Amino acid sequence: MTSITSLEREQQREARRIKHRSWVTSYLMILPAMAFLVAFVIYPTISMAHMSLYYGNAKNPYKKWMALGNYSMRDDFWVALRNTAAYTGMALVLVMILSILFAQWMYKSRKLNNVAQTLFFTPHLVAGVSAGFIWSWLMSSQPYGLFNTVFNALGLPSVRWLDSTSTAMFSIVLMNTWKSVGYYCLIIMSAMKSIPTEIYESAKLDGSPAWKTFFKITIPMISPQLFFLLITITTGSFKVFDSVRIMTNGGPGDATRVLSMYIYDYAFQRNNTLGYACAAGIIMMAIMVLVTVFDFAFVEKKVHYQ
Amino acid sequence: MAEIVFDKVGKAFGDVKVIENLDLTIEDGKFTVLVGSSGCGKTTLLRMIAGIGPATSGHIYMDGKDITHQPPEKRDIAMVFQNYAIYPTMSVRENIEFGLKNKKVPKDERDRRIAEYAEIVGMTPYLDRKPSDLSGGQRQRIALARAMVKKPSVFLMDEPLSNLDAKLRAAMRVELIELQRRLGTTFVYVTHDQIEAMSMADTIVLMEKGKIQQIGSPEEIYHQPANVFSAQFIGTPPMNILELGDGIRYGVRPESIRMSPQRMDNMVLYRKGHVITREMLGAELQYKVRLSNGITIMVRSENERDDVEEDTDVWVMAPARHIHFFDADGKRLGHGGPQNLLDRLGGMNE
Ligand SMILES: Nc1ncnc2c1ncn2[C@@H]1O[C@H](COP(=O)(O)OP(=O)(O)OP(=O)(O)O)[C@@H](O)[C@H]1O
Ligand SMILES: [Mg+2]
Repeated sequence: MTSITSLEREQQREARRIKHRSWVTSYLMILPAMAFLVAFVIYPTISMAHMSLYYGNAKNPYKKWMALGNYSMRDDFWVALRNTAAYTGMALVLVMILSILFAQWMYKSRKLNNVAQTLFFTPHLVAGVSAGFIWSWLMSSQPYGLFNTVFNALGLPSVRWLDSTSTAMFSIVLMNTWKSVGYYCLIIMSAMKSIPTEIYESAKLDGSPAWKTFFKITIPMISPQLFFLLITITTGSFKVFDSVRIMTNGGPGDATRVLSMYIYDYAFQRNNTLGYACAAGIIMMAIMVLVTVFDFAFVEKKVHYQ
Repeated sequence: MAEIVFDKVGKAFGDVKVIENLDLTIEDGKFTVLVGSSGCGKTTLLRMIAGIGPATSGHIYMDGKDITHQPPEKRDIAMVFQNYAIYPTMSVRENIEFGLKNKKVPKDERDRRIAEYAEIVGMTPYLDRKPSDLSGGQRQRIALARAMVKKPSVFLMDEPLSNLDAKLRAAMRVELIELQRRLGTTFVYVTHDQIEAMSMADTIVLMEKGKIQQIGSPEEIYHQPANVFSAQFIGTPPMNILELGDGIRYGVRPESIRMSPQRMDNMVLYRKGHVITREMLGAELQYKVRLSNGITIMVRSENERDDVEEDTDVWVMAPARHIHFFDADGKRLGHGGPQNLLDRLGGMNE
């Protein structure tokens, strides 16, 4: 009797040792990722929040305590916020619709589609800055601007692309759509390919017209991927910077001044406004968190997980 | 109501010809069962009727009208798929309702029919569930209800009961037979289970490697198998096939053989045998018997009187009407032939 109990106790101790060892191993494995997260995300965020409470510049951020004084936003902040929202809205709608359409078009495996897939995906591999430069040439109103040359050759009038306040933002959206649609399209396409063909055949036998099959079967079945796109495109677009910096630098006027450019401006291009820039950064982050929380709280309910 | 006719129909996937030159008439209002081993082309045949895997040659007619290239939604056909093909994002009710909505059936009529067929398949308590929360058997029943509710003129079913437990399967079998009798709809039912085929069919279509081996009522298939394949496909254990010489073979079903230590009268076949094993299967007994020429055969008996011990010597006997003859190609030798063959068989008796 006693020997059995001591044996059991020994087994328990052994189990605890094993559990402890696997606990240590798992933490060791995520340690590198954690270290990067702390060094490049958590620490900068905290120090940004800290700096947002002071008056100062990059050399000396803590010149004067401001408390929440930096959080009374100037008028141009609202312009930048509106521009960012417009950019995000346009990019979201355009990229989502185009990725779904292209995926629907390409998901049948044909030779042509393999070529098309490569063509769509390649822009994703081009560096953002280079893409910005290439497109500013393409959209240029100089004689070498390819788009207008083609338009004129077809008898269409020139478009002012990046030079007009009404088209500049959309032109940047266009460039970034070109750059990212192939990547998102790939995600949607693989989701579509995982839908069993019998389901479509069954829908045909049920007399479902093509549009109905698309909206009642395809879209719900790829909704997890669509939700992923919604989150990544929204957060990604909200932070847009390099293409705007290259293609318009916020102009003409303030037409394309987005939040990240606004923050960059106040942080490094002006005197003693670093604290204010940090406050804007914190607000931008708060908005992104709110939008994402909203997506998860309300939109995710409509997502169908297998 | 519909009769379906296959006229020299072929189906190829790329270079692989799965079905060639197939002629078949599926009678209006009958319960036709397609049976055959895995990969013989049963699903392919159904898909051609449904129009979702069109024939690559020949013609298919429905009530005399050529439907070879007609799109599936114009055919008034419902199908239960082998893997159910339930719409995963829709509730059970929406699954059943989908086809009706597309046909513009009014709401109250839809609700009435959904209630009726959900009851038949026993899914009423689950109408508002999502398919992902249901078992395989329950999904299969949704697929059945979804097809039945449309009241089609042809009803295609691809192994619709394969995932149900024995009890539910037996109940659904009866339910389907009754439904077919009540509606008088043409049913085409695929299975690889010969018992299911025998018990449900008006007509059995027996297939192998894309070819039809025999078409007939369960009685015909059982009593007059057209060839060795057909003879051995139906019945468990399969028919014993033995050599008569000159390439000619004869067959006796295990359940048609009589066995006894004494020689009985009025038999045609008399062989000496030795009982190797005896299995008790409840109402029936099954034996493995080695004949004097070393060949082993199976014998089944429902009759406890005929029971013999393991490891004893017995007479193996069969009456004339239970002996089937086949030629070198495996084809059944019809009437006229058998008398001289029976004499030859008698000549070999011990
Ligand atoms: N899409 C396809 N491409 C190529 N070959 C196919 C295709 N579909 C079926 N086949 C081939 O056609 C033959 C018949 O297939 P089918 O699905 O009709 O068999 P089945 O009788 O339904 O078998 P099971 O009882 O296993 O369902 C098989 O040899 C299969 O490999
Ligand atoms: Mg099959």
